[in-house]
Amino acid sequence: MLVLVGTIPTPGLPLIQGRVRYNDALQIGNDLEIPGARLMHCTTAMMAAAAAVCQTLGYDTPYGVTAGCIGDGSGSRLLYKFLTEEAERLGADVLTLHYIVPQSKLIKQAVDSITAWRKRPILIGDAGGMYAVKAAGLSPLFDLFTPDPGELAFLSDADALHPAYVRHFISEVDTTDMPRLIQRAYEHGDAAKILLVKGETDYIVRQGEILTTIAEPNIAAMEAIGGTGDTITGIAAALIYGGYDMVEACQHTALINRIAGQLCDPTPATQIGEIIAHIPQALEQVLQKQAGAVHA
Amino acid sequence: MPLPFLSKKPKEPQDKKYAIILFELVQDGMQAEEALKTAGYECQAVAPPPEVRLGCDLAVLIDAQQQVGIERVLNDLQIPYVDVVFPKMVDLRRLNVYKEVDFGRWLMVRCGNVKITYEKATLMIVNVSGGAGSDVPNITQNLLGKKLGEAPPPRSFGYTLCAYSADRAYRRCLEIARGSKTSC
Repeated sequence: MLVLVGTIPTPGLPLIQGRVRYNDALQIGNDLEIPGARLMHCTTAMMAAAAAVCQTLGYDTPYGVTAGCIGDGSGSRLLYKFLTEEAERLGADVLTLHYIVPQSKLIKQAVDSITAWRKRPILIGDAGGMYAVKAAGLSPLFDLFTPDPGELAFLSDADALHPAYVRHFISEVDTTDMPRLIQRAYEHGDAAKILLVKGETDYIVRQGEILTTIAEPNIAAMEAIGGTGDTITGIAAALIYGGYDMVEACQHTALINRIAGQLCDPTPATQIGEIIAHIPQALEQVLQKQAGAVHA
Repeated sequence: MPLPFLSKKPKEPQDKKYAIILFELVQDGMQAEEALKTAGYECQAVAPPPEVRLGCDLAVLIDAQQQVGIERVLNDLQIPYVDVVFPKMVDLRRLNVYKEVDFGRWLMVRCGNVKITYEKATLMIVNVSGGAGSDVPNITQNLLGKKLGEAPPPRSFGYTLCAYSADRAYRRCLEIARGSKTSC
C-alpha cells in the first residue's frame, strides 16, 4: 500500500483517511472531496499527483491520511499520533510524510514507532515532514527526500532548524553551488539515502554521489507556481510504490513533472491543478520513450 | 534635567549584552517583533538557542539593557512569552534574505523559502510557492487573487516560520510595488 500523510488547510477538519482518487476532483475516502480548481500547493497536490500516476498505470490507489491544520499544530498532532499509534495496521509499502508542523518530540516518537514496525516501509519525506525529520536528526532513516534548493541549503546547514534560518552565504549560492550543498548535507548526516533536488536543474543523488541531472525541458515559470514540488513528491512516491528502482523513479519523475508543465504552457499565474491534469499524458510520453529506447 | 549618571559616555557596540526572548508560538514572536519595533526598540528575529528549541521556533534578540521596558511593552499588549535568556553565543543568521525574479508581466519575490508572485499592472497576487509549514496553504488561500495592500499580511494570521518568511516576502512585494527598495 502507498500511504500518503499530510495536513490540509481546513480548520477543525478531523482525521480523515481512505483511498485517494483523482479525476476532476481529489477524493480522500468517502468524506472529503476537493475540486480540481481548488488544488493548491500542499498535501492535496501531492496526493492528486500520486493518484493520477497510480490510476494511469493501473496501480492500487493510494491511501491518504489527513487532518485540518492552518499552522496551529492541531491537525498535525492528530497525524503524529496516528503515525505513532495506528499506522502500522495499514501495512504500508511506501509511506510519504508531507505537510505537518515540525515538532521534534512528536516526530521522534513517530519515527521510533515506524522503524520498529514488523514491516518497514520505504520512507519519503518532503515539506514539513522533511523539516521535522532533519531537525530531529533522523534523516538517514529516510529513503528519499525531495528538497528544493532552499531546502537543500537547510539540509546542508547542520545547525539550521528551518530553511528560514540557513546561513546567509548558503542562501546566496543555493542555485549555483548545488554539489557543495549536497556534499555538506551528507557530511552532517542530514540527508536521506536518496535526494531528488528539484530546481532549475534537478539532481538525483545517492549517498552523496550525484548520479544524474535533468535540466530540460526548462520551464522558467514553474518556479513561481505553488505545488510543482509537491507533484514531484507524489509522482515519485507512486512510481516507487509501483516497483520502479528508486533512482530510476526519480529520473522519470523529474522528466514527467517538467513535461506536464510544458504541456500546459504555463505562465507564473498558472495554478497547479492545470499541471496535474497533464500528468497522465506526460507519464505516457516518458514511459513510452523509455520503452522505445529499451527496445531499440 | 538629565541625571548625572545617565549622561556618561554611551557604551561601544561591542560592549552591548544581548538577551533573547523566547516564545512558545512563532505567531507571538512575529507580533512581538512588530510591536517592539513600533515602540522604538531595536530588535531582530533570530533562531532560539539550540538547548531551548521546541521545533521551528522564533525568538527575538534585544539589547539586555532594555529588557525591563521591553517586557512592559509585551505585557501591556498581552503578547505571551516563555522566558528571557542570556546566551553566550547568539545565532545571528538572517531571516530576511531576498531574491527577486522578473518574469516581465509578473514579479516573483522570495524570502527564505517562500515565494510570492504578483502581476505588475494589477498588483494581483497570482501564486504563492515554496514553504512547507502547515499554514502555507492557508496563506495561499488568503493571498491568492487579492491585490497587494488589500490582502491581509501573513503575520496577521500565520503561525510558523514559513508565515514569517511569507510576511517578509509580502512586505518586499509592497515596497517594490510602491517604488521603494529599502530593506524591511
